Amino acid sequence: MVDNEVREGSELDIALEHVGDHSIVVLSGEVDVYSAPKLRDTIKNLVEEGRYRIVVDLEDVAFLDSTGLGVLVGGLKRVKHHQGDLGIICNQERILRIFRITGLTKVFTIYSSREDLLASIKGA
Amino acid sequence: MSGDKNVAFELEIPANAKYISLARLFAGSIARRMNFSEDSVDDLKIAVSEMCTNAVVHTGNGTAEKPPINIRFIMGEESLTVEVQDRGPGFDPRCVLESPPSELLEKGFGIPLIRSLVDVFECQSSPGGGTKVTITKFLPGRERG
Repeated sequence: MVDNEVREGSELDIALEHVGDHSIVVLSGEVDVYSAPKLRDTIKNLVEEGRYRIVVDLEDVAFLDSTGLGVLVGGLKRVKHHQGDLGIICNQERILRIFRITGLTKVFTIYSSREDLLASIKGA
Repeated sequence: MSGDKNVAFELEIPANAKYISLARLFAGSIARRMNFSEDSVDDLKIAVSEMCTNAVVHTGNGTAEKPPINIRFIMGEESLTVEVQDRGPGFDPRCVLESPPSELLEKGFGIPLIRSLVDVFECQSSPGGGTKVTITKFLPGRERG
């Protein structure tokens, strides 16, 4: 219980990594209407730099709501416009069920771990 | 803390997105102390966050004045009820989406998400009259009272 309460209320930190032609956006903290513009700008900047293969790592995300989903959908639409893709890394049931409820598991490529993504990149 | 009968708390937050996390934190703490499961705590936090997001986004839309948002938590013996009241322009509640958008849109997930995470959802609104959204989630096994 204490661990969960400590994680709550944290802001959103974003780190970027590039693996081949893939950009991994590593999120840590909470994605809501206050913090989501930071993620939107990060994805927008990547697309403007010509990076159309984006994966958002949600493994350290403590909270995600519909505004965060909207930003991810917006990012997906941007990269699809350039024949790219936007996937997510997530193995947290609390986050995955939000995607399930909204029907978005059918829309995003979902990797269960960083290793899953790297294996997919290697095998492509 | 479970077993208390209709203990109510009220929280007033500025109509500003940065304070929504505090409402969420409050909701999570109350739900935990009522012995909701961690999944249900998450459900309530998401629902409260969505309710407050709608209230903040719609309050003072296009005007300089932004009256605060009032959030009321009512701890029942069998359920937690949360009311979020804004003094925004209001809307016709018949326009609320029942289910997620069928085409790939960036908006419209909020209300369907709330509906699927709580047991009771009510929305009272009228153009010019502000909006009050009420949700209730029952403790496990208490749905039928």
